Amino acid sequence: MKLRRTLAFSVLIILIFILVLINFSVGSVDIKGSDIVKLLLNRDTTSVQGAVLINIRIPRVIEAMLLGGCLALSGYLLQAFFANPIAGPFVLGISSGAKLVVACLMVMGSEFGFGISSGMMVSASFVGALLATGFVIAAAGKVKNMSVLIVCGIMIGYIASAVTEVLVTFADDYNIVNLHNWSLGTFSSSSWQEIKIVVIITILGVFTSLFLSKQIEAYLFGENYAKSVGMNVRVFRICLILVSSFLSATVTAFAGPVSFVGIAVPHVIRRLLKTSKQRSIIMGAFLGGAVVCLFCDLLARALFAPMELSISTVTAVFGAPVVIGMMLNKKRA
Amino acid sequence: MKKSNTEENKHNKNMGEDMAVNTEALSVGYDGKALIRDIALSVKPGKIVALIGPNGAGKSTILKTVAGLLKPVYGEVYLTGKSLTKMSSSEVSSEMAVMMTERFNAEYATCFDVVSVGRYRFTSVLGRLDENDVEAVDSALKFVGAYELKRKTFDRLSDGQKQRVLLARAIAQETPMMVLDEPTGFLDISHKLEFTDNLKRLVAEKNISVLLSMHEPELVKKLADVVVCITKDGKVDRIDSPEKIFAGDYLKELFDIKSKSYDEVYGFLNSKTPSSDADTHKPSVCLKNSDPGSKTKFLMVQGTMSGAGKSLLVAGLCRVLKQDGYKVAPFKSQNMALNSYVTEDGLEMGRAQVMQAEAAGIKPSVYMNPILLKPNSDVGSQVIVNGKVLGNMKAREYFKYKKNLVPEILHAVEKLKEEYDIVIIEGAGSPAEINLKENDIVNMGMAALVDAPVLLVGDIDRGGVFAQLLGTIELLNEDEKARVKGLIVNKFRGDKTILDPGIEMLEKMGKVPVAGVVPYMRLSLEDEDSLTERFDKKTKADININVVKLPHISNFTDFDVFEQVENVALNYITKPEDLEWADLCIIPGTKNTIGDMKWLKESGFEAGIMKYASQGRPIIGICGGYQILGKNILDPENVEGGGSVEGLSLLPLSTTLGSKKHRELVSGFVTGESGIFSSLKGKRYSGYEIHMGDTVITDPGEAAEFTDRLSGFSKGNIYGTYVHGFFDEKEIVTEILYALSKEKGIGFSGEKIVAHKELKEREYDRLADTLRNYMDMELVYDLLGIGNKER
Repeated sequence: MKLRRTLAFSVLIILIFILVLINFSVGSVDIKGSDIVKLLLNRDTTSVQGAVLINIRIPRVIEAMLLGGCLALSGYLLQAFFANPIAGPFVLGISSGAKLVVACLMVMGSEFGFGISSGMMVSASFVGALLATGFVIAAAGKVKNMSVLIVCGIMIGYIASAVTEVLVTFADDYNIVNLHNWSLGTFSSSSWQEIKIVVIITILGVFTSLFLSKQIEAYLFGENYAKSVGMNVRVFRICLILVSSFLSATVTAFAGPVSFVGIAVPHVIRRLLKTSKQRSIIMGAFLGGAVVCLFCDLLARALFAPMELSISTVTAVFGAPVVIGMMLNKKRA
Repeated sequence: MKKSNTEENKHNKNMGEDMAVNTEALSVGYDGKALIRDIALSVKPGKIVALIGPNGAGKSTILKTVAGLLKPVYGEVYLTGKSLTKMSSSEVSSEMAVMMTERFNAEYATCFDVVSVGRYRFTSVLGRLDENDVEAVDSALKFVGAYELKRKTFDRLSDGQKQRVLLARAIAQETPMMVLDEPTGFLDISHKLEFTDNLKRLVAEKNISVLLSMHEPELVKKLADVVVCITKDGKVDRIDSPEKIFAGDYLKELFDIKSKSYDEVYGFLNSKTPSSDADTHKPSVCLKNSDPGSKTKFLMVQGTMSGAGKSLLVAGLCRVLKQDGYKVAPFKSQNMALNSYVTEDGLEMGRAQVMQAEAAGIKPSVYMNPILLKPNSDVGSQVIVNGKVLGNMKAREYFKYKKNLVPEILHAVEKLKEEYDIVIIEGAGSPAEINLKENDIVNMGMAALVDAPVLLVGDIDRGGVFAQLLGTIELLNEDEKARVKGLIVNKFRGDKTILDPGIEMLEKMGKVPVAGVVPYMRLSLEDEDSLTERFDKKTKADININVVKLPHISNFTDFDVFEQVENVALNYITKPEDLEWADLCIIPGTKNTIGDMKWLKESGFEAGIMKYASQGRPIIGICGGYQILGKNILDPENVEGGGSVEGLSLLPLSTTLGSKKHRELVSGFVTGESGIFSSLKGKRYSGYEIHMGDTVITDPGEAAEFTDRLSGFSKGNIYGTYVHGFFDEKEIVTEILYALSKEKGIGFSGEKIVAHKELKEREYDRLADTLRNYMDMELVYDLLGIGNKER
């Protein structure tokens, strides 16, 4: 059991390392491995290669890695909350809710001519995520059926997207382009300014999650049992949903809605680790999310370079089959 | 409404501190609606309080409220004198551990993980277990006997194992109070007893108090210090010591087993014998006592399991006694079999008693088997009483109803007594089915009704014969044990001297003599019921007669005659491919023609049979199979669920099902002359008809009458008839087999066919000889209370 976990974590970390290197070197401008070290050591931003690497690729890689981790973690926390393996920020419409409020903010920003800071983006996104989550929780109180819950989430997502579309239709041309790109999901706008905020949020999110791990473990066996061992279930649930919404809101604010990572990665990680030790799963989900987003972003960027795919397009290709597999598996069980 | 024990009643708020738990004017329920009102419970430290009552009474609701998982609708729960609603969940968790009936998806969690959640209140913020925690978890697991499951995945355990692990989880919480909701529900009997002992030990060692709900009166009696009775309509009816609760009839009242119905049943008996003790509800009234002038003797054969060989032993004993000049009849109060026999009066009874009556050399009568259950769905049966259909009942309904049949059984016994010197009674299944013992009318209950001594038969062939016999005796109560007068080891093969030391010990331990070690016999006699091996075997011989094994196949002994013939194989087939090597395809009778016709379509048999028929190969349909060969089957009266279905259309017939059952013994002549079996014309058949509905020919030019009285039609090599037992006449079998072998171009000698009846007679004699050689017939005669005249 221990061995399995050590092995899994080693593989994940090695994968991250390899993917980071490939991400650094591959793209419309190819950079050789040996050059990367040289460019980094010299902090050379004067050459084309140096500028691409240091100003564009490194922040993008870091962001993809951290946000990917946050997304998977957020999905896992939602799954624990709903006791439902198919929960995730994207399917439950939480990402779309965040997207809607951010879109409002962006349109308003250009209408009234104020600049939008990262902090404002994250806050707006957080508000949207909480609103959507509120709807889903209300629905979950009424229906216990897992598929119905998912359908509710998808509907909420559609409504939010529809409203966003309306906003886009009435916005200025310039904004539409911006909004359109963002609303499909991409890591392309990453910058060093953003990275600071992302790092802080990631550290906060991961640590709170780790502190919730004991409660999650008890909560797995049902609300009543959790209560009977002395857990304050209400406080725990609020904490869980806040952390999860916060994480997915951050991802949405910086990279737009990214599909399927939130569901598929925790699932694969659980199958991989075969444990109920929450600390391991939380760390595993984070690392797994990082691996998947690094890989998908690489494909999004490099597959049809210099054209770029939206990140959701790529994650859907890999994530959706996993989710379908899960549902089929559930049916059989 | 509550009649609390005075001692328990004394408590008040101040005294509540002495109590681990007490409740005041508590009403519990959901969404503000009270299900149970005015509950005043109290549990003292070191005591076990058990809630009992029927399902749905609200035991779990009370337990959940006491555990603080459900808000009281009204009133208060006090934990060591403190109001539960004013305590935080962590405070509560240090006082009280809970085990509920609800289950969860633990995914990859091991049992250790599950139990360690019980340590929640002891562990650090990150939930790391220290040495103390690990030790506590281990010892809790050991306590419930689940330590070896420690590393197993919880979800993969059986329900009983899960239950033990969940209990360990509650124990690991190390609280002075435990609330357990049906902690023994899924445990087997040995674990139930173990649980009871362990819990008592735990309570004694650690001065824990326990509030639990349970369904097993026996365990509650053993375990609880105080019993709380909750009625079906949600009232706390009594709180008292188990001794008082379990005295008298109170439990029956509580569980709504109306004593009124007891009177109804035994009223019949009581009128005969006013001296009978109505309170015990035991049919202590026996016919022998009530009628001392009767000379009829009874002996009962019971088995340790179904298939122990009771039926054949009864048949053998009947034959032995018949040979010795007695008038003897077989009897079995209740039979469950798909396969029924129709007597001359057109009444239905089980085949096994028919076989036994044949052995006894008498005509079968429905009084030999007053109750016949014919399963017609997975959960229900057609109930036939004294030969007539009473209706369909689900197993549970029947279980409730059957006590009403006691008068019918006694009536049947009376009728047999009028005619016979000796009645050999056969039991059903095992007498030690402790869940079904109540109101038993087939085993010990039956033996008590007529005061019959019992021979208990164990099956050594299936192994564990000593455990079977001694275990069965062990599970009987004292009165019943006293009835067992002899043991029989049946189906023995090999060297008996090896068995002898075991027999000696068996006699010593069981305190009952062994009446015989009967060797394994291969007899060509009819099977009792559908639980036979015959369906499994599939052999190919010179001539293959393949019977389509319809899901609701009935009366399959129709074809037994073919099994007696050398080089002829009778196969029951379930796949259309198996039609390919058939020389004759038979579509048998069915209990559900429409359902089985649909099955034929779905299973691909319809296409298979059409192909088979188009090759001009022979098909014979009997009864339901005959209906299936027609164009359609209509059910306007909802006999089989209504609607209509298209048949195989091999014969131009239309069947309309009706609620009236045709039931008669028939004989006549084959009138038809078509196809390869044209030589059957003029041959005599005898058998019986039993079917619901009528079949008419839609196109008289297309098919010819096959059996007279329009009971069957044929067209080319397709034959159908309503007559069961059509093949029983030697001439008919001979002609069919002769025709088939001619078709195949192989020689066939008619002498190989021994008429079914002669063969059976020989077999009964062989059986009787064997019993005489291997059984202590002196003992049997002693038990019957008659000296053996002959020997």
